Amino acid sequence: MTQYLVPLRDVERELNKQMKALQGTETIHLQRARMSNLVIFCTNLEQSIEVFEQVVAITAMHPTRTLLLVGEPGAERELTARVTVRPVGSKRNVCVEMVTLHAGGSVVDRLPFAVRSLLIGDLPVNLWWQTPTPPPFAGSLLYELSENAQQIIYDSIGWPDPTRGVSATAAWLEQVERPGGRWRVASDLNWRRLKYWRRLLAQSLAEASAPGAIEAVDEIVVEHGPHAVVQGWLLVSWLSRRLNWRVQTGRVTPGVEMCWQFFKAHGQARIVVRRLDDGPAEIRRLRISTRLEGKPVSLLVEAESPQRLSMQVEGIDTAPRTVTVPPRSAIDLIGRQLSDRERDPMFRESMAVAQVMAQSVER
Amino acid sequence: MAIDSTPSRSLMPQPCQLVIFGAAGDLSWRKLLPAVYNLNVDGALPSHFAVVGFGLPAEGSLTSDPDEYLRNRAKNGIQRFSRQPLDESHWNDFARSLFFVPGSFNDARAYAQLKARMESLDQQFGIPGARVYYLAVPPTLVGMCVKQLKEAGLVRPTDEPHAFTRVIVEKPIGNDLDSARQVIANVAHAFDESQTYRIDHYLGKETVQNLLVLRFANSIFEPLWNNKYIDHVQITVSEEEGLVQYDPETGAVTGTRVGYYEGVGALRDMLQNHMLQVLCVVAMEPPWSLAPDIVRDAKSGVLNCLRPLTLTDIDRNVIRGQYIEGDMHGRRVPGYRKEVRDSFAAIGKPLPQESVNSTTETFVAMKLFIDNWRWSGVPFYLRTGKRLPKRASEVAIQFKDVPQVLFNQNPEVPLEPTVLSLRVQPEEGMAMRIASKLPGPKVRIYPVQMEFNYSASLGGTPPEAYERLILDVMAGDATLFLRRDAVETSWKFVMPILDHWKNSRVRDLPEYQCGTWGPIEADRIIVPDGRCWRTL
Repeated sequence: MTQYLVPLRDVERELNKQMKALQGTETIHLQRARMSNLVIFCTNLEQSIEVFEQVVAITAMHPTRTLLLVGEPGAERELTARVTVRPVGSKRNVCVEMVTLHAGGSVVDRLPFAVRSLLIGDLPVNLWWQTPTPPPFAGSLLYELSENAQQIIYDSIGWPDPTRGVSATAAWLEQVERPGGRWRVASDLNWRRLKYWRRLLAQSLAEASAPGAIEAVDEIVVEHGPHAVVQGWLLVSWLSRRLNWRVQTGRVTPGVEMCWQFFKAHGQARIVVRRLDDGPAEIRRLRISTRLEGKPVSLLVEAESPQRLSMQVEGIDTAPRTVTVPPRSAIDLIGRQLSDRERDPMFRESMAVAQVMAQSVER
Repeated sequence: MAIDSTPSRSLMPQPCQLVIFGAAGDLSWRKLLPAVYNLNVDGALPSHFAVVGFGLPAEGSLTSDPDEYLRNRAKNGIQRFSRQPLDESHWNDFARSLFFVPGSFNDARAYAQLKARMESLDQQFGIPGARVYYLAVPPTLVGMCVKQLKEAGLVRPTDEPHAFTRVIVEKPIGNDLDSARQVIANVAHAFDESQTYRIDHYLGKETVQNLLVLRFANSIFEPLWNNKYIDHVQITVSEEEGLVQYDPETGAVTGTRVGYYEGVGALRDMLQNHMLQVLCVVAMEPPWSLAPDIVRDAKSGVLNCLRPLTLTDIDRNVIRGQYIEGDMHGRRVPGYRKEVRDSFAAIGKPLPQESVNSTTETFVAMKLFIDNWRWSGVPFYLRTGKRLPKRASEVAIQFKDVPQVLFNQNPEVPLEPTVLSLRVQPEEGMAMRIASKLPGPKVRIYPVQMEFNYSASLGGTPPEAYERLILDVMAGDATLFLRRDAVETSWKFVMPILDHWKNSRVRDLPEYQCGTWGPIEADRIIVPDGRCWRTL
């Protein structure tokens, strides 16, 4: 797909020109479709090439004007703009617009100025923070880019310092979503990935299907692949919040596991988030130790395949329960997140617990 | 007996000579000559027509043939600024009717030469002595020009229907109420009010004209056009340009408007005239006819209902700002004060004491109210500035929220209000934002836009405002021009602000970086109301 290098001042003109050129070649009526502005920030060219390919598919699900920002640290690089308009969709009758803005060194700080001039007014603005740096550590750049954003999308997978990242992000969320002023939401793709884990766990622990199991839980062990520690952490913080547990102490063995001791209504409980040496960056299995019908049992939830989660009760002869997981590629996640702008109070509560858990291991 | 060539109800432009004072200047080069050329291409000019330029060109630029000088300048302007590309066959036809009379505006002999030339062109083109004088000159020269025209016998009485004389006066009409009255009086010495056309090119924009059509030719809008359904109105005029152009290679000053702008500021330059006029079109009562004075009466009605501003109102509801260094289109651009210094240095003049730390505002935002039955309690937020992120002007009508039941009862995402936005520039058109359900089993509501774009929907580019307005003067239609009472009333409204600012003697204004949407202080007049400035 050709992208045309144009002076920043001529971006709108070039978009119109390409749109007209496409209308001249297509036999069907072309429509310019824009449901929102999508601003994507990444920090290197390789990453941006990958994102560029993803955006093609994302915009077919949710047509946007996409501003792909590449801000490379290091050497100074003047701001350049590349423009493309392309038909998408099964009938190829819908056109979406994409502008890649590339800068390096201190010029990166000037990207927000370019963004302001290219946003389409009146349409929601989604900012996809596509870097491994947690949003609170992004400084004034993120602050300025999110000036007009209604949604900030980030991904906590692969954060280099999970404890610091989780703690700071929980505090940052309070600021971003504070009441008053412009309505805004922050969304973690990692949280979205956990949607079916949470659904299966909630149903498995429901009083109707597992009487008394919730009160009897005394240990939760999560195993995850490399770089997925925050995913595991989010899941257990959600679970401990649902179970009304309170953090007592925490301990980290770097690269191996994180372990927390909790107070619960009657007694204590333990959560372990353990790293596996290899495999995909996601939760692989979760084991809950509890009691069913007076017997000690383990509920084992695991990723049976990329499309399926299963739950099996170890210690009792029952059939495994399964749930189908729709595709969860970055494209699917982002595509869905763009039109899903609700604040999720459960996420906020889980992050608040995660923050306390982070503070307990920092002490 | 006249023979009608068209069944159109609109007035037809009459045979005349268009005399451009300051024909060698910037406005003529960029706007007026390209506008007349486009009218020629579109076949809108009368068959008996000529353009005469008058004034002194820059030293050394006049060739031995003055007519050729104007033709070259016109051709250059058309090539660079015309909405329609230069077409040689049209150009050759157009160039035949272009003439130039060099002369100083205060030289009686030059007016005698102008008169002789025009009389000869009347013969040549079969024009019955009709004249339209376009005064594209600085306001300080207006009085002198009209006086000389009168003394040279170039102003005919109003009772000559074919040999009419009309004068077009450019803004600014004065720089305060007193000077505006003076300009009006000076022109009135020579021209009757019915011969005077005070131009505000914003009123010639298609979108502004379409506001009347939208309101009064559709049954769905006018019933909603009042305080029962409208929450507030925002009018924004955002400009990218600063006051100085620099050579990108050398950094040398290549053009400046600081001489005009310094000491004038955004309030006088934009808000007092263009924005209040647009406000009038948005807020006026339905006129009972489209006759010029009936429409202008309706607009004046709005100005007369503007709630006068007290000192407290001004402190609370009027914010000014000045741009500082920032970024436009990927380039660092200097702040206003540096532009002022550079401008004076470039022309080799010392910087005036009052400009050393200039407090001329390059941004102004205001909340105002119209105290009449229709608009009682509805705030109008006006905002204009230079060096903002993009060139965009619009009127946005935000409707009231739906009741807090059904979809607006504890929504997961607040419902975005219905907004009708009318884009004046750059792409004239309108859009309506409405709430719509996203496909799927869950009720998720998302704002979507219904959009109408003039050039995309109706083909071609809409005529420039100047084209329409020049044609209107030739046809004797004053609907889109300012009557003296409108000029005076709008000055009366802003004078308390100018006086208060003058008396407060602040040393520094709120600042905003070039390429941002104005000073943060501008939020103060809208955010406490539970609203926010629109992102354009």
